Amino acid sequence: MPFSFASLSFWDLLLWCAILAITLGAGTLIVLLLSLTISQNIIPPKRRRRGSPTHLLVVLGSGGHTAEMLYMLERMNFDPQIYTYRTYLVSSGDNFSAEKAKAFEAQLGQSYQGHAHSDNYTIVTVPRARRVHQSYLTAPFSTLQCFWACLNVLRGRHPDQKLPKEYSSFYPDLILTNGPATAVCVVAGAKFIRFFLCLAKCAALCLGLRTLSSLTSAPKLRTIYIESWARVSSLSTSGVLLLPLVDRFLVQWPAQAGRRAWWGMKRTQYAGWLVI
Amino acid sequence: MKLCFVTVGATASFQKLLEQILSSQFLETLAKRGYTHLLIQYGKDGQQIFQDFIDSDQPHHGLTLGGFDFQPSIDAQMMMTVEREALNQERGLIICHAGTGTVLAGLRLGVPLIVVPNPDLADNHQQELADELEAGNYVISSSVNDVGNAISRAETQKAEVLSMRTGNTTLAESMSDELGFLD
Repeated sequence: MPFSFASLSFWDLLLWCAILAITLGAGTLIVLLLSLTISQNIIPPKRRRRGSPTHLLVVLGSGGHTAEMLYMLERMNFDPQIYTYRTYLVSSGDNFSAEKAKAFEAQLGQSYQGHAHSDNYTIVTVPRARRVHQSYLTAPFSTLQCFWACLNVLRGRHPDQKLPKEYSSFYPDLILTNGPATAVCVVAGAKFIRFFLCLAKCAALCLGLRTLSSLTSAPKLRTIYIESWARVSSLSTSGVLLLPLVDRFLVQWPAQAGRRAWWGMKRTQYAGWLVI
Repeated sequence: MKLCFVTVGATASFQKLLEQILSSQFLETLAKRGYTHLLIQYGKDGQQIFQDFIDSDQPHHGLTLGGFDFQPSIDAQMMMTVEREALNQERGLIICHAGTGTVLAGLRLGVPLIVVPNPDLADNHQQELADELEAGNYVISSSVNDVGNAISRAETQKAEVLSMRTGNTTLAESMSDELGFLD
């Protein structure tokens, strides 16, 4: 019997549409989960020479997060000769964090004369994902706006960015964060860009367009999340959201160690106190 | 100078702690233990209580009193409790609400720390942190009424926390690994 659209009733059509939608949705979800799992388990290749220019992006947030982040950088004896360029990302209206970052850089400048001066860092501002007391109705829109701004920062398109010429790419090499809401946008943005970079690389390979440089480049847009020292036994909201997204998840209390987003994912790593 | 610095937090009021600190009994305890100065960050609702105390003729037990409501950073005030011979500063004491920022800043200085959780604020994870720190002997946790007795316990605490400062290289190593530096 020849197939004709006329023989389809409205309900048949609805059924087929529903099946199509469910298949597409499930397919997308599986691809997403699989790619996140694969991405988190890839060990970054050792291809970066010591002393080569390295761009670090530090996400600062409201008072507590910023203080902890700068304590940690200070405690690890942060070396501007290794992390040769720093971008500090702050939310709009957060002058406290911007001032703290400036003070930290000034201190670096004193300890490492000649290596840390104002040309080697920028402070960029992005709109807030959700302001205090903002309605949940408009929050998705402001989050999108924040996400877009973070994407621009990651691609080096923010008007305040002025990366020196010796850096081969605008993408930061490493992203360090400890949990303000903006961090979720930044890390999601980094994953998003890495996904497309990976697709482009695969396409170039298949088409035989591969260039040696693109295959031997050092890892980019890697992400490290450090859960707040104040979190003894439960993860923060940002922590829960970022658990499947970041490359490395450090915790400062033993009870937080060994968590993972789902089977096959990387576990959180106990680091001890990093802020003291 | 031997300073006791009290901070009640900038956002919420903690009048019970303030009244306890300004009680004659507490001031006498401080004076007996050799404190010379008492500085109070009394928060948004504390000005009246502090001013009333200054204006009244209640005894100060020889202590020099000072107070302020709020400052963007209290790092400078906290530094005054650190032992420094050049400035004739003795090791002091910090009494604070369970706010994580203040507790962490105090721990980093290695100064005796008394944490007084605000019973009006039901913040679970702050309480949890205070309990955990007390269990590890990093701070003394005290109720409002018992603050006077907590002083002697706090003073005998060693500056153990400072010894933790030597070489936690986990963050530096993690960063280096993620960047893929050649060995």
